[in-house]
Amino acid sequence: MSAYLNTRVSLFRARLWHPGDFRALLDAPEEEVERVLRERDLAELAPGYASRDVLSLEQRIIGRVLDETWVLLRPMGGAARAFLLYWTQRFEISNLKTLLRGKMTGERPATLLSRLTPMGPFARLDGEDLAHAEDVAELFRRLEAGAYAGIARQARQAFEESHDPFLLDAALDRAYYEGLAQRARPLEADLGADFATLMGHYLDRINLVWLLRYRFNYHLPPAQVYYLLVNTHYGLSPARLKVMAAQGDMAAVLAALPDKTRRLLEGAADIGEVARRMEQRRLDAAEAVLRKPGAACTRAFAYLTLRERRLREARVVLRGRQLRLPRQAIEATLGPRLVDTGGS
Amino acid sequence: MFRAAPMAHVTLWLLASEAQDAALLLARHGAFAPAPADGTLPDSPAAAYREVYLEARSRLDKLLEQDGAPPSQVPEDAAAPTLAGLGLVNEELKLIWQAYSAVSEQAAQLQEARQRLAVMRESYARLQGLRLDLSRLFQADSLLATRIGTVPTGNVARLKESLALAGFVLSVFDRHQDQVFAVAAGPRGGQVAGLLSQAGWRDMEIPEALRTRPEAARRYLEDEEARLGAALTANRNMRADYLSRHGERIAEARLQLALARPLAEAAPVGVRGQGQLAVFTGWVPRSGLEALRAALAARFHGRVLSDIRYPDMAEAARVPSLLRYPAWLRPFSPLVRAYGLPRYGELDPTLPFALGYLLLFGAMFGDVGHGAVIVLLFLALGPALKQLLWVGVAAGLASMVFGLLYGSVFGFEDWLPALWISPMHDPLRLLAVAVGLGAVFIVLTLLASIHNHWVRGHGAAALGAANGLAGLLFYLGALAAGASLAGLVDWGLAGALLALAGLAGVALHAGLENHAPWGERLLVSAIETLETGINLFANTLSFMRVAAFSLNHVALAMAVFTLAQGLGQVGQGAALALGNGIIIVLEGGIVAIQAMRLMYYEGFSRFFSGDGVAFLPLRLEK
Repeated sequence: MSAYLNTRVSLFRARLWHPGDFRALLDAPEEEVERVLRERDLAELAPGYASRDVLSLEQRIIGRVLDETWVLLRPMGGAARAFLLYWTQRFEISNLKTLLRGKMTGERPATLLSRLTPMGPFARLDGEDLAHAEDVAELFRRLEAGAYAGIARQARQAFEESHDPFLLDAALDRAYYEGLAQRARPLEADLGADFATLMGHYLDRINLVWLLRYRFNYHLPPAQVYYLLVNTHYGLSPARLKVMAAQGDMAAVLAALPDKTRRLLEGAADIGEVARRMEQRRLDAAEAVLRKPGAACTRAFAYLTLRERRLREARVVLRGRQLRLPRQAIEATLGPRLVDTGGS
Repeated sequence: MFRAAPMAHVTLWLLASEAQDAALLLARHGAFAPAPADGTLPDSPAAAYREVYLEARSRLDKLLEQDGAPPSQVPEDAAAPTLAGLGLVNEELKLIWQAYSAVSEQAAQLQEARQRLAVMRESYARLQGLRLDLSRLFQADSLLATRIGTVPTGNVARLKESLALAGFVLSVFDRHQDQVFAVAAGPRGGQVAGLLSQAGWRDMEIPEALRTRPEAARRYLEDEEARLGAALTANRNMRADYLSRHGERIAEARLQLALARPLAEAAPVGVRGQGQLAVFTGWVPRSGLEALRAALAARFHGRVLSDIRYPDMAEAARVPSLLRYPAWLRPFSPLVRAYGLPRYGELDPTLPFALGYLLLFGAMFGDVGHGAVIVLLFLALGPALKQLLWVGVAAGLASMVFGLLYGSVFGFEDWLPALWISPMHDPLRLLAVAVGLGAVFIVLTLLASIHNHWVRGHGAAALGAANGLAGLLFYLGALAAGASLAGLVDWGLAGALLALAGLAGVALHAGLENHAPWGERLLVSAIETLETGINLFANTLSFMRVAAFSLNHVALAMAVFTLAQGLGQVGQGAALALGNGIIIVLEGGIVAIQAMRLMYYEGFSRFFSGDGVAFLPLRLEK
């Protein structure tokens, strides 16, 4: 099965967009955009582009990621399968947030339903039923009787005390990523250092960016910031996170990072830049994993990481074009690696 | 019985204001299955209607979950609500449900309070044992802030670490299920409120009574328990009373929604429009057209225009299949549906399946005694088996018929004379008959396949495909050549030529169908031709299992007898009963699956795509 999965990942890898593909999409005249997308195996994004339906475009991207995840899951079993299945559930957590926010603002069920991402065979939430809940309290009661009972209970407890949508989102995110970290841990022994590196870069990025945002954008006290972070054992250990959360400004937080990460973030002036560099480190690690032979499940995870990212970057170009943004602005968002004329 | 009922594509043009009544009439008629329109009309005039219907339906269903009164009959002359009327029904249901839901929420809170009280009672008992003066914990202090509360067990470790950052300590003094009881203490003015709420912390309301004398505390707990119990009873009565007071309004809303349902159901596929015009598109069995026309004329007096056309085979994949069966054949249809639904125009294999399945089951499990037991067993289990009852009885009867032909009763081959052949005494002949049966079966499936290719408009496949005429010619030729080699007939040369011609046809078709370079075409043709020959040969031999299982049946019975003979009289009886039971259940089950396998894989896979669309007409809610 491992050989089959490795072959599958190698075949899928050819679908990843290269700088040349992004340039072709940037250069194409308006009437050629659909053709460019079809030629590059993203035919399903073309109708979304034509109808200028932003939400539909996002849903199609996630739909493609889910389809490919489904194919990669087939030969998997045990903890690796459980991990990857859980990884896809972050889209459903996003649906859950949409439902909760919709209920808070009194949105109609049909509007809410149109904003949910179809999860296909991964669906565990009954969107139709939940969208028709009368209010947030009823929605929580229904959620607590379903597949996300644990996460929903924690979120409700946090929400009932504060009634703050931001804290509700934070509770949901934290509960989800705690679950992800727990599922990743037993895999590290089987899948080796590459998997631990990918997970480490992923969760360290999440923790660092959250810490900076909670601390300096939302001005939460250090104790609460620390509580909202994901408990992991990667580069940013709990002990270090405690120290970082207690710092009074961003520079001090960055100075408290481990050496390697501190060097990576040297000169980063804002949280956006920190997020970009941390994300790039994660993508570089995923590319390195894909380039060499290794555990098939790790390569599958690396592929899906890169695939989702590239699809979102394709969406950046499409959205930029729809909004008639200057080409330089789109290129700046993509970053030099994807628009470098020297690329293949 | 061999094909889906002929359909007509119907387009109805009407006033958008009458769309709900037209849909209701179509549902009453029960023969109009909505189908997507061609998209020339831009609007979905029933989209808003459907949205309101779904909201109202969801509220009604939630109310019916609480009070599932049986639905009332939809009156013959009742009209469907307009969008405005449906909106009023929705608003009314919203008010009823919101009020009911608020009372239900109170009930949930009372239940939670009752659980907390039970836990508090336990905790208090433990605190009493510690001889702790609770009142001191709550004394105002200028330096120390103290809170007593509950927090989910899973959050304790993280909360402890986080509180430490704010100079607080968390001390757990009791736990109950997934909650712990804890005291959080730290410097007054410490910013921990947000953190505690994030961690799901609930302050415990410690009443004054619990801080003072034990007897007052006990009385407080008892009073509180009685108060919550009474409140819950009152809440339950209030909800029941509320539902009974609104029973008529709920029933009326239910009726209105039953009348609104047809348009809401048709909306996403079969209703388009523009301005004041609505257009319904769908499929109607040709036999029901006249009745539908008459009903529309009687109700709308010419205000509905209709356009009727008959489908051509190019669109067969989109036309729904309406299949009607006589009562005796109906129980077999789920077994065919398990494989797929016949496409419109294709041969419906339900009748051949029923006959073939019974023939194969009987041939593999031919025994008068065991067949009779199966019949009695299924009759005894009766209605619980629903449609399977008749399938089981028919299989048992087929087993009995073949038992007579084989002269087999409970495995004894000498109680009855064999009317045809005794498997154990003439196994080679039985094998030859089984292969012959397989050959006939495959020829029939190839004929069915040619028919299906043809009606789909795939003329080239009907002629040249491996399961087309070329495949059939190859197979018949190969059979003739084989029979000549066995000395049964003298058609060797003719058979070989026919087989070669058939193979050439298959190869040619495979080559022409493939649009790859010539080298690849040749390779694909060669492989496909070879595969055709091997498959047909293997499929024919696959039927040898029919003879093998009939022999297996006798052999198993002999094994049971041999075992039984070695035991005493009681043991003998028990062994025979047990052995026959095992034969009926295990072997009968295996044979039932094998017969199904032969029908599916050797039969259906050759000619039956099973990708038909079910005919699902609009109907009134039952």
